[in-house]
Amino acid sequence: MSTDSVPAGEDPRRLLSEARGLARRVRVDQRVTWFALLVLAVVTFVAIPFDWYFFDPALSWRRGVLFYWPPVLLLSYAAIAAYYVRVARERGLGARVLPYAITGIALTVLFTAAWIAARLYFPSHPQRLPEWVLLVDRLVAPWGTIGVALLVLARLERNLGLLVFTVAYLTVVLVPIDLGWHWQGQEGTWFLPQQFINGTVLLLGAIGFRLADRRRR
Amino acid sequence: MTDEPLHPVNGLDEVVHQRVRLGILTIAHEARRAEFGYLRAQLDLTAGNLSKHLSVLETAGLIEIEKGYAGKRGRTWISLTAAGDTALAEEVARLRLLIARVETVEHRQED
Repeated sequence: MSTDSVPAGEDPRRLLSEARGLARRVRVDQRVTWFALLVLAVVTFVAIPFDWYFFDPALSWRRGVLFYWPPVLLLSYAAIAAYYVRVARERGLGARVLPYAITGIALTVLFTAAWIAARLYFPSHPQRLPEWVLLVDRLVAPWGTIGVALLVLARLERNLGLLVFTVAYLTVVLVPIDLGWHWQGQEGTWFLPQQFINGTVLLLGAIGFRLADRRRR
Repeated sequence: MTDEPLHPVNGLDEVVHQRVRLGILTIAHEARRAEFGYLRAQLDLTAGNLSKHLSVLETAGLIEIEKGYAGKRGRTWISLTAAGDTALAEEVARLRLLIARVETVEHRQED
């Protein structure tokens, strides 16, 4: 048993407060949030011509979703994880991005399976779907899974700013935006405004987090 | 002898209950692993001073030190051992307990 008193310089409140401050500093130094959002924004914009070109007007299907999104999302999550690890290492830290990448990859597999199942089932069973099914459909679509995975990243980074951004992004993704707009009267272009808005929100997020990051350093 | 629990000060681990060493453990825990230079900058220490604290923690089995290279530059990485993780969690719990005790005493004195 120690009979020494707690040294005056080691006030417990101060020690705990300093430890919390250091932990916060580490978490901030591990973040490269802007890069993740930038990659996802670029991927969303590049998808637009794919989705448009492979649109099936007879079934109102975006076949491009299956050709483009699964491999591109897998590559994106791998690239984001690799960049996070590289930046953290350069800053002298380990990274905590792996659970985000794994969640993103798992959700990509889930959405691919769901889209294939729906593609096989609905052409022979046409029906009007209830609103909640459409909501789940939007959530397991690539744009929805991007948001769900970002929630995991916000939790990992304990990043309140990213959490607020992701809730706003998911709201935009889940609430259908139909401006009644068709490019040159083409049927297969109704989704373009929504997809453009999704990409723009991600891009603005990337710019915002980048500026905040630069101001901090 | 009474059944009253020991004062939290009695359980403090003198290796961990020190500003710099608690800082090293906190950073290594949060970062998974931290580089010598990062620790030095965050804790505002000289290389010699940081080395001494690292040596105390390594001897106590609370951290692992790994030396490697990034290109031609030598780099030293510090990570927590399982014992280090436990020691940090216990120290934080004891500090919270100590603060709660102090606050209770302060409240009694105010009454």
